[in-house]
Amino acid sequence: MKKEQKIWIALAAVGCVGALVAMIAAVSMSKGIIIVAVLIVCASIVVNCVVLFKHADRLQKIVHALSVGSQIKMTAAYPPGSLLKDIGTATEQFMDETNAKVKTLQNENTDIGLQLQLIQRRKNSVEAILNSIRDAVIVTDDRDRIILANAAAGTLFGFEFDPAQPMAIEEALSSGELVTAISKCRTSKTAHVRRELTFEKAEQPVSYDTVLSCVEDDKGNVLQLVAVLHDITREKEIARMKNDFVSHVSHELKTPLASINAYAEMLVDGEAEDTETVQQFCGVIQSQAQRLGRLIEDILNISRIESGLIKVSKETHSLALVIRDSVEMITSYAQEKSITVHSPASILYDQVNIDRDMISQVVINLLSNAVKYTPANGEITVRTDLNEIEGQITVTIIDTGVGIPAEDVDHVFDKFYRVKANNKCAKGTGLGLNLVKQIVETVHGGSIFVTSTVGEGSTFGFVLPLSKETATQTV
Amino acid sequence: MENRKALVVDDEFHIVQVVAIKLKNNGFDVVTAENGSDGYDLASETLPDIIISDYQMPIMSGIEMIEKLRQNPETAHIPVIMLTARGFAIEDEQKEQLRVSACLSKPFSPREVLATIEDVLKQDAAV
Repeated sequence: MKKEQKIWIALAAVGCVGALVAMIAAVSMSKGIIIVAVLIVCASIVVNCVVLFKHADRLQKIVHALSVGSQIKMTAAYPPGSLLKDIGTATEQFMDETNAKVKTLQNENTDIGLQLQLIQRRKNSVEAILNSIRDAVIVTDDRDRIILANAAAGTLFGFEFDPAQPMAIEEALSSGELVTAISKCRTSKTAHVRRELTFEKAEQPVSYDTVLSCVEDDKGNVLQLVAVLHDITREKEIARMKNDFVSHVSHELKTPLASINAYAEMLVDGEAEDTETVQQFCGVIQSQAQRLGRLIEDILNISRIESGLIKVSKETHSLALVIRDSVEMITSYAQEKSITVHSPASILYDQVNIDRDMISQVVINLLSNAVKYTPANGEITVRTDLNEIEGQITVTIIDTGVGIPAEDVDHVFDKFYRVKANNKCAKGTGLGLNLVKQIVETVHGGSIFVTSTVGEGSTFGFVLPLSKETATQTV
Repeated sequence: MENRKALVVDDEFHIVQVVAIKLKNNGFDVVTAENGSDGYDLASETLPDIIISDYQMPIMSGIEMIEKLRQNPETAHIPVIMLTARGFAIEDEQKEQLRVSACLSKPFSPREVLATIEDVLKQDAAV
């Protein structure tokens, strides 16, 4: 035991003796003893005050620790037998318990904080996901008020969603049909309703595949209704184009097939009275079979190019040589109509990276069209123009034919499009020019053009990039 | 007895030719046209007993031609048989409204065409 502690114990003992004497004095009522007792009590008070003063800083620490809830371990020794020792022990015990509770609360507080952060992060993520969805999503409550909507919904119906102010669907949604559908779905408690809705927009009507789903509680009450609107305008357009294509193909295939079938039957039935008629019928069957074959080939080629499945073998070739060979192939056909074909003068550098067969097909197709639609004794001129600065070469085929009406010019490269005014001039599938366009633009990255004046002739042409390197690739 | 008259309208020369030969061989006088507009003019002029027409044609389609024929009192009664590559192109309602007597899908049989013509003319005579 330290010296200082011994002194404090002694002083505390004196204080206690004083108090005892004071009590005896009070009982006996002796003046002398009372005076002595008073002196002892005073001394004891002074001593205890000194003791309290000595430990005031420690008590301050305890009070502070209690107020801030921190953990303080009171390890100092107290004078044995002093009241402070009991207070200190009790306080320490209280502090231990309090500190443990504070610690628990602090941990719980930290957990709650983390959970709040997590919830906020999830909320932000859900909002970001909802707003990134291209479909319009609207959630309504049991009173048909919008309680959640994504950006696409706001854009579609032209409202700004504010979570703090739920909007009535009649106010927010311009489509009466959708408003009715939402109300009806909610009141009828139908789990899912699907329907196609069309909204009138400035440019064109837009169609939406709309799915309404009820959100129910355990008792089957509809709490919310989720409406998801998926834009199917493009899909509908593609489906329409597909139907048109199938319809066109069907018509184009059935026409030559009808001739083959009919003429074959006529031969079987002996409707051809003489050898000449028999030969004529056989000729029709043969030409229509060839037409059918060409048609199927064209359809397949276009389909292959469009789907990216056609094998393309590109190599560096002289375009002048390709044109020369093509002109040679078409010459006899032109001569039958006494049409003169002027070939291009050779140029210094005309190397292009092309699939030779495909570009030959393009040139032959354009030349063949020029011959078809040019009256007898007309002229066809083939030109090649080099643009070294742009690194391009342009092939132009100019005819003195019937020309194309202005309203048809922009459509001549469309599938199955035929210029009605020129139908009498030649038969065709309406696929040749589309195939030309696909080969030049899709396969070779070039461009195609046409200009025409009715009664004067047409100019068809295409532009190809000049070769930089030899390559073989599959498109 | 005077031959029955038939008008064949189709932009496909080979179809017109084969139907015309079949009908001629079976006692019809045949006139031909290659589009709806020419077909209407020829029908107004010759007043055939029956018209066999394609559906899809340049300048004027088969349907447009029939609509025009039905508006003209002189041609309104002429029975029409449609030849079409699109079997689903004519709705029943439209067929009834335009009084199209029969529809034959391409590829068709000349025998079938002749048989249908005979049936339609028989029904027409009965009415």
